[in-house]
Amino acid sequence: MEWLKRLFGNHEEHEPLLSRQEDLPGIGEVRIAYVVDCMGAMCPRPQLLTKKVVEQIAEGEIIEIVSDNPAAVEAFPWLAETLACTCLLTVRERDRWRIYLRKGLGSEAAGNNG
Amino acid sequence: MNANVEALSGVGWMDQFRHRLYSAAILLAVTLGSVWALAIDVRFIYLLVYVWFGVIYGVLLQYGRFCMAAAVRDLFAVKVPRMAVGMMIAVGLYALVAAVVTLTGFSTFHPQPLGWHVLIGGAIFGFGFVFTGGCASGSLYKTGEGNLNSALVVFSIAFSQALVVSASGWFDGLAPAAWAQSAAAKGMPESLSVTRGWFDLFTAGYIWDLKGQTLAELLAVGDSPVTTIFVNTFVNAILPVLGILVALYAFYYRKGFLRKSGKAHLGWSDELAGMWAMCTSSKNTALAGVGLGIFAGLHMWVTGALREHYEIFNFGELLAAMGYTDGLSIQNTVFDPGYWYITTQEAQWGGWVLEKLGVNMMDNVFFGLDNGLPNPLLNAPGFMSIGIILGAAMLALARREFKWKFPTWESAFFAIAGGILMGIGARIAMGCNIGAFFATVTNGDPSGWIFLAGMVGGGYVSVRVFTKWMDWKVAREGGGLL
Repeated sequence: MEWLKRLFGNHEEHEPLLSRQEDLPGIGEVRIAYVVDCMGAMCPRPQLLTKKVVEQIAEGEIIEIVSDNPAAVEAFPWLAETLACTCLLTVRERDRWRIYLRKGLGSEAAGNNG
Repeated sequence: MNANVEALSGVGWMDQFRHRLYSAAILLAVTLGSVWALAIDVRFIYLLVYVWFGVIYGVLLQYGRFCMAAAVRDLFAVKVPRMAVGMMIAVGLYALVAAVVTLTGFSTFHPQPLGWHVLIGGAIFGFGFVFTGGCASGSLYKTGEGNLNSALVVFSIAFSQALVVSASGWFDGLAPAAWAQSAAAKGMPESLSVTRGWFDLFTAGYIWDLKGQTLAELLAVGDSPVTTIFVNTFVNAILPVLGILVALYAFYYRKGFLRKSGKAHLGWSDELAGMWAMCTSSKNTALAGVGLGIFAGLHMWVTGALREHYEIFNFGELLAAMGYTDGLSIQNTVFDPGYWYITTQEAQWGGWVLEKLGVNMMDNVFFGLDNGLPNPLLNAPGFMSIGIILGAAMLALARREFKWKFPTWESAFFAIAGGILMGIGARIAMGCNIGAFFATVTNGDPSGWIFLAGMVGGGYVSVRVFTKWMDWKVAREGGGLL
């Protein structure tokens, strides 16, 4: 049965969900309030999880979404708009993307981002 | 505002090169396979047309992330109209190309029978695809991206359809008696047993009594090419597309646009600028739509020309002439739509496997009379689906988006259950989001809009159910959030 577990277990390398400081290129040092781990998740899970998290954070807080789903990643700037968030940055790594959203529309922090 | 950064610390040029090499290897394999097939018999060119158009469809689907499930679901789940907008633009552009193909006389399109089954089938299909995370075409291109969950969906669609069209049992009694009478009166050969099996009763006793018509035929506007094109392309496709785009703008985009513009009131030119901004933000999907329109039109044209060249109506005749008579229907035909189609060939894969396992799959109308059960190696539209997977894999590899993804227990359950529903829905509606919607509305057949209505309704209910499931799961797994 071990092989079955291995086959159907979640295979992705998951992210620690703790909040942390992060130096974002072009934006500077920010505090990440939450990490939304969507590794291996099919649509609409990444979108729905993000929506849930955005509902719970305070205005101005920044979250990081980690996903390996290119279709979901591409839709995030649109999603940010409907959730009244600012999509600060999308970082592409070898096998995943990191998307940084700040709750609230446009403000001083975004101004740093050219 | 949104900047994109490539943090490729872990990615060397070797990695990039390796991915491109795999991509080229797929192209080489398809080319060599084609040459091999032509060396066996040059008439395999007919089958290879499906293969190569499949590859092109796959590339375009992956490029545009072309997924009808995303279009419906994102609208209701998170109020994002992006994919729906792209899809509508694609429909409009495809319709224009289809009009040209029809004018040249090479169209292979047949309108679908119009009836309540289209709405019901569409709703079941739409209910299923929110759970699977992809529509019929979306699941194929995602399989090409290495997503084994989507492969499971394709598998599930294949077998559920095969079982739906061949099953008989107590539920035969659910079919109205009028269907049985009507089916019996069709004088079909004994071997098809049309009065046994609910799908046979449904097909012979109900579908065959319906008519499939283009809007121009329905309105009996005469057969001048200009009037036909005006009614079939403009009234049946372009006008509804414009209407839906305006509705999407008004309900899902305008508020954000107003907020961004900083104005209290939008004038006409602002509204038009807003519409334009909405349409251009779905650029990739729209561009894929242009490509799909052009190539799907070309596909019809090339297949039509080959049929003329070989003086055949159906690939089955060519297979018989080449000496391959196994799996032909009793009319010597196989499934050969001559245009973009997805689900029927998948049903044939499932049916072929079950037949090999000893189940009689040819005693029904679907396989026995119409579509046959050819060996998958001789299944031309089947190769179109394989071509889609390979084409999507090629582009995904070249863009470094290919990744093997394995299902979890939960996603596997959803893939199988949702796939079964999609299979059932596709058979009842006589097609999927491509065969029953995309190919129909663009060729003047209004039945596709009924299918869309059903699919959107099913999708809406399904999004509600799925969101409840997510809420429950998140609450159960604690932490308040994840």
